[in-house]
Amino acid sequence: MQKPMQTGLIVAVILAVLTIVEYIFAVEVSEDTVRFLGLTIAALGKAALIVYYFMHIYRIWRAEEAH
Amino acid sequence: MAVVSPSAGAHPVHNHLQFNRVGLWLFFFSESILFGLLLSARFFLEGIEREHVDQHLGLAITIVLLLSSVTAFTAETAIEHDNRRVANWGLIATIVLGIIFAAGVGFEWKTAEFTRHEAFGTVFFTMTGIHASHVISGIGILILVWVQLLRGRFSGKDHWPVAGAVMYWHFVDVVWVFFYPALYLVK
Repeated sequence: MQKPMQTGLIVAVILAVLTIVEYIFAVEVSEDTVRFLGLTIAALGKAALIVYYFMHIYRIWRAEEAH
Repeated sequence: MAVVSPSAGAHPVHNHLQFNRVGLWLFFFSESILFGLLLSARFFLEGIEREHVDQHLGLAITIVLLLSSVTAFTAETAIEHDNRRVANWGLIATIVLGIIFAAGVGFEWKTAEFTRHEAFGTVFFTMTGIHASHVISGIGILILVWVQLLRGRFSGKDHWPVAGAVMYWHFVDVVWVFFYPALYLVK
């Protein structure tokens, strides 16, 4: 259980950092297009991390319970 | 007289898990269309403009929801490894964090400086309302799974209900990952 939990915690820390960076970016950057693009990239990155590591999309075609 | 094997006509048991997973992902796909349309309606009506919203509250409930994804992941990983005690606490923590998130949205609704009659108010209340209804249904599903866990169901080899409920919870989190910047951070 240690290995998957370790991975989960690393992903959680990355998600937390991305959320804080997203917030600071939105507050500090005044150029609309740059801010919009930055927020979009951050959201896509966070969603990809959750879908891969937490929702295990790679297990979709696996028949057995995975560990 | 022909002898019919007991397994004839039935799918192997392991295939059911595969069907469950694919079915759940198809459900997520259909839900993504709903949430995607809400997101596009928000930008169609208001562009990147927005009204004043409570930034600290928005950031706080976002962190709460992300944290709940971590506790849900912990619960799933624990039951995969037959650790019922950690799975139990992981589910309880997820449920509590979900309730805090829903309460935060409720507080935001109560203190909002705009009304549902304005364009931004319409999209804000619709998007957060539909998302919150998914959070509340997710809490309900997690409670059902938690009660089953307390009754001794689920093991490392049979934990699909936990995995399915947790996947649904993560999906609700993914939706908020897009809704949060669209409602709180642009402009």
